[in-house]
Order: sequence, then structure tokens, then C-alpha cells
Amino acid sequence: MINSDIIRGHLESVILKLIIEQDRYGYEISNCITERTDSKFNIKEATLYSVVGRLEKKELIESYMGAKTHGGKRRYYRITPLGKAYYREKLKEWKELKVLLETLLEAK
Amino acid sequence: MKRINNFVKNTFKDVPKDKRDEIIASVSEKLIEKVEDLIESGYELDDAINKTVVEFGTMEDYLLDESKKLKKLKRKKTIAHYRNDLLFSVFGSLITIGILIFINLYFLQGTLWFVVPSIAILWWPLVLLYRLWNKKESKKGEKDE
Repeated sequence: MINSDIIRGHLESVILKLIIEQDRYGYEISNCITERTDSKFNIKEATLYSVVGRLEKKELIESYMGAKTHGGKRRYYRITPLGKAYYREKLKEWKELKVLLETLLEAK
Repeated sequence: MKRINNFVKNTFKDVPKDKRDEIIASVSEKLIEKVEDLIESGYELDDAINKTVVEFGTMEDYLLDESKKLKKLKRKKTIAHYRNDLLFSVFGSLITIGILIFINLYFLQGTLWFVVPSIAILWWPLVLLYRLWNKKESKKGEKDE
């Protein structure tokens, strides 16, 4: 299991990416992360929800109440144009970082 | 769902008042969504709630960097509290010793016996002074780390 401290800095990008793919609600995001990583990276939901809240405050995502198939309502999040731009920046940053770390850590 | 609400309220009870209600409302909503989701996928209500509560984490997980600030604030409050205690004990012992001196000099002259109970009473502010210094010292120690 990966130490969540390392990924924490990139959590914003991860969440943005998931919301860009389609509108999602809180638990769906956490579920998605668990599924895609084969439970190797199990993020604490407390952390996840706080990041989602922060993204919403920064207006990178916005929420709306969506209908659910079985009565009840869910708060869905969708990406804003600002969020998309932010994500593209972060992605570029990540790619640079990846190359950088590869040269540094795997140099022979 | 009352259990979820109570759990969230309890988890975030130490958050400063101005943010608390907002956090509680938003987190409760998400957790209730999760419980409903789990029930849909076949969980019993109790199991779903238990699973949600166990997997949520702690207030520190939620506040990340802010939890440090929160601790500092709490610490300041404790020290202010200790200082109040000390002030109270100083005044309390001064008044008591004053009365002892008065009784000694006015009614029962001859020996200066008031010194003996005064020493005992002085332990009260001394203990509180020690406690305050101790707390301040441990704060310094943490800063050095």
C-alpha cells in the first residue's frame, strides 16, 4: 500500500481528472480511486472530501443536486472551465516531474 | 441516518465554530449518500453505517495542514486558562493569608502563628505556577523539534 502522503499533493489533479471524465458524486470518486488502483491506494474519505470541498471553493468544480434512480438526491460535481485549465497545467507539471524523477532516481 | 449525523458532529466537535457547521453539513451529506449506495448494493442498514463510519477516518485526515493550526490555537487557550487559574489562586491565597494576619494581630497577639498556615496556603499558587511553566516549557520543546 502506497503511503498517502506522497500522492496527497496530486490528489487535486486526480479528483479533477475523474470529474472531467463525467460528473460524479462524493462516494463515487472514492470508489473509483479504489477500483482503479486495485485497492493499492486506499484514500481516507475524510481527506478526499476535504479536497473536494477545497476545489469547489476555488471554483474549479461546481456542484448540483442530481436525481437518483431510487428516490433521494445526490450532490454531483461537474468541472468548470477554470478547473479544466487548472487540470491541464497540473498534468503538464506532472509530466515534467515524472521525467525529472526518472532521470534522477533511475540514472545509471 | 441519525447515527451518521451524530458521528460527524462528534468527529468535528473541535473545529472552530465559524467552519464547523459547514463542514458537518457537507460531510454528513456525502456519508449519507454512501450509506444509501451501500444499501443499494446489498448491505443491511447497520452494516452500511458501520462500514461508512469505519472508513471515514479522523478529523486530522480532513483538516490536513489546518489541524496543526488548530492544535496551536487549543494550546494557547489552555495556557490562557492556566494563567487564569494562577491569578485566581494568587488572589485567593492573599485574601486568606490577610485574614489570618488580621486574626493573629487583632485577637490572638503574642505568637506569630499565622506564618505556619500561610506556608501551607502558598502551595496552592505554587502548584499552579509550576503547572503553567511546565506547559510553556513543553511548548518550547515542541517548537525545537
